[in-house]
Amino acid sequence: MSGGRPVGDGAGGERDLRAAEYVLGTLDARERAAFELERTVDPATEAALRAWERRLGPLTRAVPAIRPGPEIWARIAAALPSGGAGAQPEAFAGREDRPEGGRDEIASGTAGGAAANDNRLRDLARQVRFWRRAAAGAGSAAGLAAAGLALVLTGWPQPAAVPSPRSVAVVTSGGDLPALIVSVDSASGTVQVRPLAAQAPAGRSLELWYIGAGAAPRPLGLVGTEPARLALPPGTGSGAGATLAVSVEPPGGSPTGQPTGQVVYSGKLIPE
Amino acid sequence: MTSHEGADDGADALLASLLARIAGGDEAALRALYDQTAAKLLGIILRIQRDRSLAEDVLQDVYLRIWHAAGSYVPTAGAPLSWLCAIARNRAIDGVRRRSEVTMPSGESGEAYWERLTAPGGGEDAILDRDALVACLSRLDPTQRDCVVLAYCEGWSREELAARYDRPVNTVKTWLHRTLASLKSCLETIA
Repeated sequence: MSGGRPVGDGAGGERDLRAAEYVLGTLDARERAAFELERTVDPATEAALRAWERRLGPLTRAVPAIRPGPEIWARIAAALPSGGAGAQPEAFAGREDRPEGGRDEIASGTAGGAAANDNRLRDLARQVRFWRRAAAGAGSAAGLAAAGLALVLTGWPQPAAVPSPRSVAVVTSGGDLPALIVSVDSASGTVQVRPLAAQAPAGRSLELWYIGAGAAPRPLGLVGTEPARLALPPGTGSGAGATLAVSVEPPGGSPTGQPTGQVVYSGKLIPE
Repeated sequence: MTSHEGADDGADALLASLLARIAGGDEAALRALYDQTAAKLLGIILRIQRDRSLAEDVLQDVYLRIWHAAGSYVPTAGAPLSWLCAIARNRAIDGVRRRSEVTMPSGESGEAYWERLTAPGGGEDAILDRDALVACLSRLDPTQRDCVVLAYCEGWSREELAARYDRPVNTVKTWLHRTLASLKSCLETIA
């Protein structure tokens, strides 16, 4: 028994109830997908979610641990950039920690040239595979699987103004393409968008949004059928922790400057 | 809600340093994190997924997600293990909610979870959080407490809870909302 104010009191209360049920796990697939979008674009929703994760988190203590079979790690390792060669078990004693930093630091620390490029292409292909799998699930939850939308995000560093003779093939098991490849170069403030299989619903536009960590979405531009170079809004920083999202909007884009339609995919920017 | 900041124990510090190395592309760190946490995460996923082979697929997906998302971990999102558990639970629940055919839950009673929840053990900080939740869950009607425990630990849907307690789905939804409101207000009083 409690004399407390109901959680569902007012708009903030409704939001808190959605967050509570999301964490509890009782929202249905459609409600979960809607909440995932809300949490991506609304910092207050994300905060409500974190608070509920903390409140209910001790319940995970009540779940007995179960050791996975050895083949599970082998499957994970095979999907890593080195195919698992870089993931041998390590002894902790005496190991020096690497300095903290993003993958871009490691990539730029590699001698440039063909080898590094090959690695980047291979890494990109792996990321594409990963995001395709992730997006297949997200799309079907939102009832948009038919559109085949997927969004691949990379923080692929742009070699300084040297046109590359290389091409990238996005190779997938089904032979179908992801919707977009988006690469963000925070140094030059540009966003390269390559639409692959993206299709806007009839009479609607697709709009791309940049959502910095804890910040409101900022419009990057419309996603057409041709590759485009868009400008990163000023003050977006390094892109660390940022999310990109594509929403379905009225023709010409959102009239409000904020997403108004369904987000068909969103994902974190991956530093390369 | 800030009383627990800076309360990293050794395990938290280890996991946080592994996440930082994973964000830097260190595959050996992912392996070490997996060795430390995979049994815990598989336990969580399996209770919700209810099928070992599907649960292992989700586990694989969860670690690849961690590989890509480790750089987005911030301590304000909670302790590292809580962050990992949330990723695992979310993936597991997404999976069962999207599935049209549903596997029967384990059949374990809410009581069995309750006993494990209240068993001694864990770090000092974890015990404070756990004790507060246990105290507030204890004040609930046992049926409503079981609804929370079975939903959280076994992924029971509103429909499954409605069938188990022979009530309309909307009644269960109202129960859950009321129960969650009581829990929140109780936890805020204790904190």
